[in-house]
Amino acid sequence: MNKYSIAIVGAAALVAASAGVSAQRGGRGGAPAGPANPAIGNQQAIQEGEAIYNQTCTACHGKDGSAGEMAPAVAAPSRRYNRVTDAQVFDAVKNGIPQTQMPPFGGRFSDDQIWKIVAYIHGLRGTAIDAPTQGNAANGEQIFWNKGQCGTCHMINAKGSLLGPDLSNLAGMRKTQSIVNALTKEIHRIPGDGGTHDSVLMPLQTYQPVRVTLADGKVMNGVLRNEDSFSLQVFGTDNQLYLLERAKVKEVYYQPKSLMPTDYDKRLTPQEFQDLMAFLTRLYVAPLPPLPGGRGGPPPA
Amino acid sequence: MDQYRQLRSAVFVCLLFSAAAMVAAQVTDQELLNPDPNDWLLYSGTYNSQRHSLLKQITTGNVATMQAKWVFHMFGAKDLEAVPIVYKGVMYVAQYNRVHALDAATGRVIWEWQRQPANVGWQRGVGIYNNKVYAMTGDSSVIALDARTGNPIWEARPSQEGKRFQGPAPFVAKGKVIASGSGQGGGFIEAFDSETGKPVWHWNAIPGPGEPGHETWAGDSWKNGGTPIWVSGSYDPQMNAIFWGTGQPSPDFVGDNREGDNLYSDSIVALDLDTGKLKWHYQNTPHDVHDWDSMEMPVLIDTVYQGQPRKLLLQANRNGMYYVIDRTTGKLLVGTPFVSRVDWNKGLSPEGRPILTPGHEPTVTGAKTCPSTAGATNWPSPAYNPDTKLFYLIVQEGCGITFRQSANTQAGQGGSGTAYMESPVPEENWQLFVRALDATTGKKVWDYQQVSSHHYGPGVLSTAGGVIFAGEQQGEFTALDAKSGKPLWHFNTGGLITAGPSTYMVDGKQYVAIASYANVFAFALP
Repeated sequence: MNKYSIAIVGAAALVAASAGVSAQRGGRGGAPAGPANPAIGNQQAIQEGEAIYNQTCTACHGKDGSAGEMAPAVAAPSRRYNRVTDAQVFDAVKNGIPQTQMPPFGGRFSDDQIWKIVAYIHGLRGTAIDAPTQGNAANGEQIFWNKGQCGTCHMINAKGSLLGPDLSNLAGMRKTQSIVNALTKEIHRIPGDGGTHDSVLMPLQTYQPVRVTLADGKVMNGVLRNEDSFSLQVFGTDNQLYLLERAKVKEVYYQPKSLMPTDYDKRLTPQEFQDLMAFLTRLYVAPLPPLPGGRGGPPPA
Repeated sequence: MDQYRQLRSAVFVCLLFSAAAMVAAQVTDQELLNPDPNDWLLYSGTYNSQRHSLLKQITTGNVATMQAKWVFHMFGAKDLEAVPIVYKGVMYVAQYNRVHALDAATGRVIWEWQRQPANVGWQRGVGIYNNKVYAMTGDSSVIALDARTGNPIWEARPSQEGKRFQGPAPFVAKGKVIASGSGQGGGFIEAFDSETGKPVWHWNAIPGPGEPGHETWAGDSWKNGGTPIWVSGSYDPQMNAIFWGTGQPSPDFVGDNREGDNLYSDSIVALDLDTGKLKWHYQNTPHDVHDWDSMEMPVLIDTVYQGQPRKLLLQANRNGMYYVIDRTTGKLLVGTPFVSRVDWNKGLSPEGRPILTPGHEPTVTGAKTCPSTAGATNWPSPAYNPDTKLFYLIVQEGCGITFRQSANTQAGQGGSGTAYMESPVPEENWQLFVRALDATTGKKVWDYQQVSSHHYGPGVLSTAGGVIFAGEQQGEFTALDAKSGKPLWHFNTGGLITAGPSTYMVDGKQYVAIASYANVFAFALP
């Protein structure tokens, strides 16, 4: 086992630890803590909770709590929840949510089982910021902008490039392991955004690289934002947007690989990788605190 | 070197493509001041809020052949009030907590920004400046997004505690983003630095103790609040002034508890853009008890008035009166009814103050007043065509009955008043029109009668092609001859229309766009 894989394993261990500790940063601060969840920290109990969740909850709330066809995400990168604390989630599961489709499960599961479900959801909600990895984050920032060339495609707080995903809130949206995978594995799962505005016309979230040859022979490279049988919306490697008609395009070549390099374990030394992770797992934009009286309402007529 | 590495290296090479295809996103001050007619950069089209486009590919002669080119469905949305904003072929449409950037020629999505929770509250779209799009969140923030990607850049709340934004399209001028709302202490307007989101100034519609106007609220009644401000306004760069309407005092239908004029409720205010300081005000409805807010868009025109070139402000108010104001001084020049029945005043004093007729205070059994509380017009925007010199608006003819909850007039005991109803007398019942007024006199020139729906119609759009576009709340989108009001074209959008239309041009083709229920439609000639 080389130093690099130690770093990965270490990060994974931190994820596992953080899942049980403090996944509730960000949401609706100031909510009463309520009774403690007896299943927190009990790996077997959390696994049992996951099993119940997968049998009972996924039809509406989706796998991994990332939103389904009938109900919102219970664990979403936006980290804005109506039910913040374990006690509040417990209440929703046990008693249901009035005036919604959420039924009470108190008659079906014991309190003990419900706490296990809640412990599983608690873990789902954790992201990297809950337990940033060890390392020199300041050095990691230097690596991000220089040796790592991350800013060539990515943006942080309006600095950098627009080609790839914005990373300003990376640690608030992804788990540490997911970030490690993105840096080191060609095939890695990208979690959905869990938004409750369902969308039937989502633009492509894959950042599919394309090479487009226009009718006049000019060639352009970029990532596909969207396409249909008659048009293409391409964001060029020059950070400009191109709205193209297929009728005026000679060829669209879909590049087989993402623009994202996945060999950072080889490009960087183990210490550099560790420092980069220390930086990335601290990229966080905290939501503004909740307003008194709940959500913003519509204006008066 | 494989494809992937070639592409990586391509990142560093800025290739040149056909200029026609490339879309930049850098809206400058100059473009906002003198917009390319191909773009629609502001909620009201231009800073003077004339909602008049110089595009004239679509004319009275060919509009009959206009057809739908695309529809974009905003899944889960409803009652959209956003005006489609377009810059160089990219359209931005929004509701709370969501913005969609679309290819304006195809309706295809370029990027989307959304966040939880879903919110279908009434929100009137975005502002755009430099490389940012400014949108509203459901939890009372203005959020700046990168116009090219939707990446969030900054987010700001009202700087005073207890205040909340209420859904205007953020208004951008001279590096400031302006939004408004209400809350503790009443309605407000606040300006933020467009780059950083830092607050620049905050103007309260209800003056605090010691400030001029505070004495127009008896006792502690100023603390009741009200005066919500939920629509944006207009801007005169030469005067460095913005012109906004303000909301009604609270409680809406009971005035005993708040004797006085209740400044600056139901007013048009001129504020200095840099400081937010009040330059002048004109109060349309002093001591309002009918919920006649002044959210109707102030329209700025420069024209000859009584032989003199003047800088005017026009407003058709919810209270049934059409106002022509010298916007350099705030002096009222014309105040005249624009609907057939206005019974609550018998004219204006030389200073512009309404001379009230008795019997229109809300009572427990109800008091009839014309127009009704819904207003002779309401927030949907009017338009002004400098060619015809006509002012076009949605008009509601009718009367209403206003009630209060209790006859007890002791402070705090009178209740907020219950509500109002439209008059049950058939000839006083709600009837909608698209109406053209002579801009400087307010005299009616033509009417186009709409099917009544007991809801306001959407906003109006004027074009240099001589065509007026006006939706009907029940879903028909209609083209009218600007000179005669004659209907020339219509399309059933299949949903309620509660938004104003806009127009733009891409690749030599003029489009007209409007949001209807949860969809955005774009029309053009074949």
